[in-house]
Amino acid sequence: MSKLLIDVGSTYFKVCQQSGISQYFRDFKKDIYDDLITKCGDIFAQYKKEDVFICSSANGGLSTLIIGLTNSFSLKFAKNIAFNSGINIIDTILYSKIEETKAPLELVDVVIVVGGIDGIGNVFDEKLFKYLQNVQYSNIVYVGTKQDANYLKEHLPALKILGNIITGKLHVNEVELKEYLTNLYQADIVGKEDIKHLYELTSNQIYSTPYIVNRSLPFIDANFEVVNPFIVVDIGGATTDIHYSRDLVRDNILTESEYDRLVFKKLGVYKSRETLVFAAKNNEFVYELLAYLNVTENILEEESEKALRILMQLSIFLVLYKVSRLSSMYVTLHLELLKTVVLTGGITKVLSYEEVESIIVFFYKKVMNLHAIPTIVMDYNYAIWTLGMSNTETRS
Amino acid sequence: MKKVVTGVVGNDIHVVANRLIDISLQARGFEVFNLGVNTSLEEFIDAVVETDADILLISSLNGEAEGWCRDLQFLRSEYSLRDVVFVIGGNLAVGEAKQSDIIPKYQSYGFDLVFHQVDLNTGLDTLEAYMKERA
Repeated sequence: MSKLLIDVGSTYFKVCQQSGISQYFRDFKKDIYDDLITKCGDIFAQYKKEDVFICSSANGGLSTLIIGLTNSFSLKFAKNIAFNSGINIIDTILYSKIEETKAPLELVDVVIVVGGIDGIGNVFDEKLFKYLQNVQYSNIVYVGTKQDANYLKEHLPALKILGNIITGKLHVNEVELKEYLTNLYQADIVGKEDIKHLYELTSNQIYSTPYIVNRSLPFIDANFEVVNPFIVVDIGGATTDIHYSRDLVRDNILTESEYDRLVFKKLGVYKSRETLVFAAKNNEFVYELLAYLNVTENILEEESEKALRILMQLSIFLVLYKVSRLSSMYVTLHLELLKTVVLTGGITKVLSYEEVESIIVFFYKKVMNLHAIPTIVMDYNYAIWTLGMSNTETRS
Repeated sequence: MKKVVTGVVGNDIHVVANRLIDISLQARGFEVFNLGVNTSLEEFIDAVVETDADILLISSLNGEAEGWCRDLQFLRSEYSLRDVVFVIGGNLAVGEAKQSDIIPKYQSYGFDLVFHQVDLNTGLDTLEAYMKERA
């Protein structure tokens, strides 16, 4: 019996059977379960619960505050692990400057405290507790020196203690923290009431889509002509994810995975349209870009098909900009080494190859000062995630 | 066991010397944290903080350490590293230079011990004697 693979996005359901992939636009008046049953009830009737595999990216994304001892080790390692677990960094704090640093006003999903190799003690003191009194957070995790763990636990009962991410040789140990953060991200998605109901349709674990897409990258050349190093940009309704070969990063961090990912929570074209427009308006190149596309900034306020196309083009530009050397907020990718850009997600249903190409030409010319651009591959059928789903299913 | 952070500063890839220093330090009973080649001064200081090291031993062979180590006093002041011994050794100048010019210059940057074109064992003997005297 074949399997049924479902991806629950914020704007579309993607349903993959042996006969092919079909897509259904979401009805936002209904909850996800009812909507899915209305549209695909007859399909579900053909499969047993154990043959149904579901992933979801609807409303995903977490925020983090990292408090670390140094920039080169604690903060760098924790930041890298958090990014790769699909988390959106909101802030990092150097512990030596904690007294001068203001607490974030927004609720933080997870605070990460890190510093020191095992064997050294008294790294953290009252300064940490005083600061945390002013921070609103849902989870707090400690991944620093073992010697301070009990002391911190006494003062912070909610503290989750995991293995130190800094090894005795000052290398990164990402296993435990990555698993914890991935599970939190996972729980955030599946914990949403809408998604919980989906367990009535499957007896398998529901995974987050960025995780599944990341898992598919080692198998991507089975279906696409992709040359390493490559990136996969998944632009959807609520989030935009970028998956990249580690060959594009020069951060001196050795990890087991060949591919990492970044999830931008607020760069989608439907559900987070306002923040996308805000990010676009604050970009130094945007007016030049709009002129290049022969439109004015008024297009950003319009509700038309043309406006949607422009927004999608803007989101390609912004995501590349955010990982370029001009933006230090996230990971800096050496885009001059890039050989292939793979586009997937809702964007491939809206933009033509030429429209994508024109924006990448603009980016490489203006930001990279290069005339040659990487090869562009469009995943028109949104098939990449199915590679990851099949692989996950095989492993389990 | 005393802890030493070591490595080669700046755009310098003299890895053989770096390995020899690592091996020699271990043979003398130090716990070594080797950051390898191409290391920035900030990374050295951060490694000292993360490991609570007793000694920072920076090496340089291409002679460009002068440009990379000027901010030592500033970075030292960011953390309380008063008990850490700062050592630099190797070839510390581009072209000809006198010991009498080089040593005071690096001492003014904040290094306690400076070894310009001194062989490794002599340098490490001096370091051990210095540590013993301080204790």
